[in-house]
Amino acid sequence: MKTEQILRISHVGLRGVVGKGLSASRIIDFASAFATFLSNDGPVVLGRDPRASGIMLREGVVSALMACGRDVIDLGVVSTPVVQHAIQRLDAAGGISIGASHNTAEWNALRFFGPRGTYLSTAEAGELLDIYHLKKFSYSEWDHIGALRYDDTAVDKYLDDLARLYDLPALSKFRVVVDCCNGTSSLLLRRMNERFGCSFILINEKVEGVAFAHEPNTTAATLALQLAPLIKPLQADAGFLFDVDSDRVAIAAEDGVPVSEEIVLPLLADYLLPRGEGKLVITNFSSTALLDEVVARHGGRVVRVPVGRQAAIDALAGYRPEQIALAGEGTGAVMMPQFRFVYDGIASMLTVLSMMKERGEKLSQIVASYPKYTILKGQLPLASHHIPALLADLQKRFADGRINTSDGLRVDWPDKWFHIRVSQTEPVVRVICEQRGENPPALYEFLMDQVRSLG
Amino acid sequence: MPQREHLLKIGVSGVRGVVGEFLTPALACEFAQAFGTYVGRGRVVVGRDTRTSGPSLQHAVACGLLSAGCEVIDVGVLPTPTIQMFAGQSRAKGGIALTASHNPPEYNALKLFNGEGLFFNQYERSELIDLYHQSDFYQASNAEMRKISSDYVTPMQMHIDRVLKHVDVERIRNRRFRIALDGVNGAGSVMSCKFLREHLKADLHAISVDPTKVFPRIAEPRPDTLGDLAALVKSTHADIGFAQDPDGDRLAVCDENGIVLDNDDVLALAVDRALTLKPGNVVVNLTTSSVIDDIAAAHGCRVYRTPVGEANVVETMQAVGAVIGGEGSNGGIIFPAVHLCRDSYLGMAMLLDLMAETGATVSELAGRLPRYYRRLGKVTFGHGMLGSLMQGLEENFPDAATDRSDGLKLIWPEGWIHVRASNTEPLLRIAAEAKSQAKMAELYGSVTKLLAG
Repeated sequence: MKTEQILRISHVGLRGVVGKGLSASRIIDFASAFATFLSNDGPVVLGRDPRASGIMLREGVVSALMACGRDVIDLGVVSTPVVQHAIQRLDAAGGISIGASHNTAEWNALRFFGPRGTYLSTAEAGELLDIYHLKKFSYSEWDHIGALRYDDTAVDKYLDDLARLYDLPALSKFRVVVDCCNGTSSLLLRRMNERFGCSFILINEKVEGVAFAHEPNTTAATLALQLAPLIKPLQADAGFLFDVDSDRVAIAAEDGVPVSEEIVLPLLADYLLPRGEGKLVITNFSSTALLDEVVARHGGRVVRVPVGRQAAIDALAGYRPEQIALAGEGTGAVMMPQFRFVYDGIASMLTVLSMMKERGEKLSQIVASYPKYTILKGQLPLASHHIPALLADLQKRFADGRINTSDGLRVDWPDKWFHIRVSQTEPVVRVICEQRGENPPALYEFLMDQVRSLG
Repeated sequence: MPQREHLLKIGVSGVRGVVGEFLTPALACEFAQAFGTYVGRGRVVVGRDTRTSGPSLQHAVACGLLSAGCEVIDVGVLPTPTIQMFAGQSRAKGGIALTASHNPPEYNALKLFNGEGLFFNQYERSELIDLYHQSDFYQASNAEMRKISSDYVTPMQMHIDRVLKHVDVERIRNRRFRIALDGVNGAGSVMSCKFLREHLKADLHAISVDPTKVFPRIAEPRPDTLGDLAALVKSTHADIGFAQDPDGDRLAVCDENGIVLDNDDVLALAVDRALTLKPGNVVVNLTTSSVIDDIAAAHGCRVYRTPVGEANVVETMQAVGAVIGGEGSNGGIIFPAVHLCRDSYLGMAMLLDLMAETGATVSELAGRLPRYYRRLGKVTFGHGMLGSLMQGLEENFPDAATDRSDGLKLIWPEGWIHVRASNTEPLLRIAAEAKSQAKMAELYGSVTKLLAG
């Protein structure tokens, strides 16, 4: 295991375990490729999460960008959404966020953003990859090398914008517990307490480079670990768990019960659809059908795309921004138009709090007000060459449902659906099945058996 | 434009090249990784001269060092000798200076030092270059990752304090010397002003001491590149003029009449001063003037000759416990009591102390030195011709004593010729010296004729 190399180079950028694949020269090459890729003038904004290796990555990235003639604006340790916000504010050519988000501490990554802080489209990311592989970078002559400067106002400027979109003083009446997972959200929330009198009670708030208090993911298990048990004793109105760079969020209600990650998107859609011009909600084939029901109530429409952040980003680019109400995944990651379609956990949290304020209801009551759906998710190892046969067979067997094959197989009936697909990151088949009502879908075990029988 | 192969040089002396396409951040980073792997996990001092490529390459070097598990002490823009001394002083594992010394501004290089702030010996240098080529670097995990800290104050103060221990500071201050300085906007710009004006209370007239600007002249301080300094000396009626190279290790000196001294004579004055303080061995390279032998003989001291190159001189100085050394034509004075490196500050202080003690002017001091006539030149040669050229030379002068330790040196009682192949370009460097102008011209003429032959 010790010599195992962990490196992933894809359209999402460069990710890996530092010292075991994610090497200094790969970082420099990738940042050089990005500087070469950027077509418009302007500086490049840089931020990083608190991982100890972040300094090493930062030095490599700064070196490469400067050598390619780019001025660099370093925001220091900040959340990824703050980096994206600063790119737009500073009219930068693009930006790089250093940080491995929900991965464990030994990981790190480079994520790339275009002008206005947008994610790279698949075509753009592909071009970046080609330049990286070609290793022909446009280094500047000695008298055109870029300069580095620092900007420590990024958090406040970002909060200024948050304060324009949300009534922060009004939201400060809520008593909210937040598990920061030793990440950058604590910097933002502490500042919000200072500036706007918010009442965020922070745990795991020490920004930490090596030993996070727990795995930095936003699963229900992690939520239940430290945050959920604190909510009732503290008489809090809600609890929120962020990953290290605060683009993802998980929620617990005032009764200490985790709010299903699946319900976050419907919740936000319910609140945002009546407020904006946009009527489209972009999500993937694996998220709850409750969303369709909620969105339909507001006269909107759900657009489903294959699983993966890149598919959602490409789908967004196919519409005018004002057509979109929101976009997101069943994992609690949501992009909202008023936030430039950036995955921003803090904005998601403020939207939920705004909803609680408007309705004057407890979070558990709001969640309970929606029709009940029961969703089951599983995964099984499977040799990939068996997949086409399995999908063809299932397609024939469930010919009575509405079939969609653009990402594995999804079949819909009026009160239930299932989705079977091969993971893009692991050699497993994922099975998701949902039934309207309290009863778990009987179909789920059947599908799991089908997959097992092939294995 | 030099030929392609000279735009990047990776060898036992480190890595040097034209920035951009040739000396890239990735290359600097990997070299630093090799260095960090070689010296082991610990502190490494990193500084640079004022080249525009310095900051970018310093970030690359920091990236490589951190990745190899080292802690980086950033000392910013400083003269190379200061970086070396601080590396030696601060219990670091080593030091890296980003400087291409006297090379043009489009060049940069990594100068590598061990934990004592000295060049690696030949064996260590080849080990390091092997490690670089093997690319099998230590790669720190997140938990092993160390930090970058900075110290922009201590190194400069430490260097100045060390130099001033070896001169009579009050004596120099009391003279209130009027000094002209050309800092070439280099790494010494700020420190030299502080050193001369604040510590030695000189009436300082300085040009090109803005480290944020590019080099205003050819970076190597030679008589033909120091016209501005000579003019400044005359217009301000200065007692002496000093010029540095971009990384502050080399020193050139201009007398009160605006005449730039031969660098061998500057070294001779320093040697004289050092041997007066404490007699001992002297080490210079083969191309350095015989004036050094005369001075040493007057003190009853011995001179050791080494191949050209600071690292060679330093290695021999260590071996024989020399009290002073240097390389004449390069303007490098090495005084181990301060540190085993070329140090323009020590040179300035020694000359001023000598002037203060003797009351003599620079021209008078130089005039008292035994007179030699010197000529340096170079000729190109065809690939594979080096051996027969050298052999032909040696056969043509059967009466000469020979030294083959770096090219060929032919020695007579009244003069010598030194011919050696450049390490960086396909050309032969020729030096000739004799006690009379006519003899020197004869030696130089005959050797160039033979080589052209």
